[in-house]
Amino acid sequence: MAVINMGVEKLNYNARIKKENEDIYILALESSCDETAASVNKNGLEVLANVVSSQVDLHKKFGGVVPEIASRKHLELLLPVIDQALEKAGIGFEDLDAVASTYGPGLVGGLLVTLTAAKTISLALDIPLIGVNHIAGHIYANFIDNPDIKKPLLCLTISGGHTDLLFFENLRGYQILGRTIDDAAGEAFDKISRFIGLGYPGGPAIEKAAQTGDREAIDFPRADLGESYDFSFSGLKTSVMNYVNNEEQRGNEININDLAASFQEAVVDSLASNLIKAAKEYEVKSVVLSGGVAANQRLREVIAERLKEHSLDLYYPPLELCTDNAAMIGAVAYYQYLDHDFAPLSISADPSLKL
Amino acid sequence: MLILGIDCSTDILGLALMDSNQLKGEYNLSLKRQHSEKLLPLMEQIFELLEIKAADLDGVAVAIGPGSFTGLRIGITTAKMLGRIFSIPVKGIPTLEVIAAGSNGDYILPLLDARRERVYYSFYQRNENKKGLFLKEINKAASAAISELPEILSEYKSEEITIIGEMKAEVQQILEQEGFLVKQSAAENNFTRAAVLARLGQDYINSGQEDDIYQLNPIYLKKPQAEINWQQKYGSN
Repeated sequence: MAVINMGVEKLNYNARIKKENEDIYILALESSCDETAASVNKNGLEVLANVVSSQVDLHKKFGGVVPEIASRKHLELLLPVIDQALEKAGIGFEDLDAVASTYGPGLVGGLLVTLTAAKTISLALDIPLIGVNHIAGHIYANFIDNPDIKKPLLCLTISGGHTDLLFFENLRGYQILGRTIDDAAGEAFDKISRFIGLGYPGGPAIEKAAQTGDREAIDFPRADLGESYDFSFSGLKTSVMNYVNNEEQRGNEININDLAASFQEAVVDSLASNLIKAAKEYEVKSVVLSGGVAANQRLREVIAERLKEHSLDLYYPPLELCTDNAAMIGAVAYYQYLDHDFAPLSISADPSLKL
Repeated sequence: MLILGIDCSTDILGLALMDSNQLKGEYNLSLKRQHSEKLLPLMEQIFELLEIKAADLDGVAVAIGPGSFTGLRIGITTAKMLGRIFSIPVKGIPTLEVIAAGSNGDYILPLLDARRERVYYSFYQRNENKKGLFLKEINKAASAAISELPEILSEYKSEEITIIGEMKAEVQQILEQEGFLVKQSAAENNFTRAAVLARLGQDYINSGQEDDIYQLNPIYLKKPQAEINWQQKYGSN
């Protein structure tokens, strides 16, 4: 019998909803920023294809991602990435059990391209539509690489838009322990990098400059939020800017590498301290880093060092899963599928979606 | 031949199903900024009401602009995916052509508000040879200041021009001032009608004209603002 779906969840799809012991194939799509991506996931963590088309060069001259330019490009790249993913996985549309897309957070113009595509695929094939949170995607990127990771676990997710500390009892769900109350860590890297003339993207630029800098040259403040597991970086950002302005006023030459290294050290120190505090309290067996900033080598170094004392395993996704991709979206979608957490065709893109 | 027409280029969300020259159903709904939420549910609804499935489609017609950048991408993405999944032809049709084709008259000036006293316009002549199936495009879609229109259309001062779409009052006034003969279209025709889009799509596809879905893009008629600003600052590279 026909069911009119105007915002009400529809569960009587023609495609039978499979059970956990069966093989479940999901096509996942992602276009929340400047990467257009498609993947085919089998039972979530098994990645049959992961295709990413990046637009970084297109936006470099603007010093950041230009939403309208990105959106136009996503439309052009949509079919090629889907084609490549299906081809690589060796399957066709008819083999799919569900289709997933990021619906937030991110740039709304971009999100709408893959979200609309996923809705169309869902309607055309009468298979469930799954809306995925992009931040959750970055977290599950770790589980793709380490499917047997010991639980319970902590996850520190750090990117341009987010800094969150999460506790996972198992892979079906999480609890938020703390988050940033102002700038995200990645945002701080981008802003400072642009401020001191190192350009965009800020993380890699600062990390490179810091390699030959003295991280103890300048003692920038670490935010003190007491008992809370929350984070704060805007005070640090202000401090760096004041330092630069003061030195320039005094006519002193600033060693950019020392500056980068000291700034980076302050961020890393703040992140690591909170993480260790939580690891002790929640008695976890593993710690996972996720998000673009997880690619930072100094961060990994410091956290690994401090975790050694507690003999905890540290995980971070391989570089190809740190940047935006669809495989991570497909991984989250699998667990949502098992929970029958499907989206209606009326689902909107939410640019400021939180965990 | 079952053709689906999709139009998200203006505030009016259009969906229509044309089956071998018979209109099966049509939605023209003024749903400002809700296209992303409403398009697929409405598509599902019209399919269910008409007892058809997406797999029954033989082709898709989609309005490709000018218009809302976001709306255009939503419509074209949907059309591309349907074309790809079912290997059916897709035809992109300029929004102004859809508006014009919904009008009577021999010389048709479809208009869309481009803000700041500018319009997106095109200019068509009803093509007698093809018995009104296709309009002959005299002026390609472009943007212009309303005040420039008399000059642009100067050759056609002696013809009766039907204006249709947005900004009609302003355009009529300026054309009549310059001695043009202007006729306005009736309210029920004065927008992008999905049935017209579907019929145009059907006619194009029947005559073998379809688009490569890998190259199908909107007629933006405007560079992204960031690009415009950059060029103003640094000059074109």
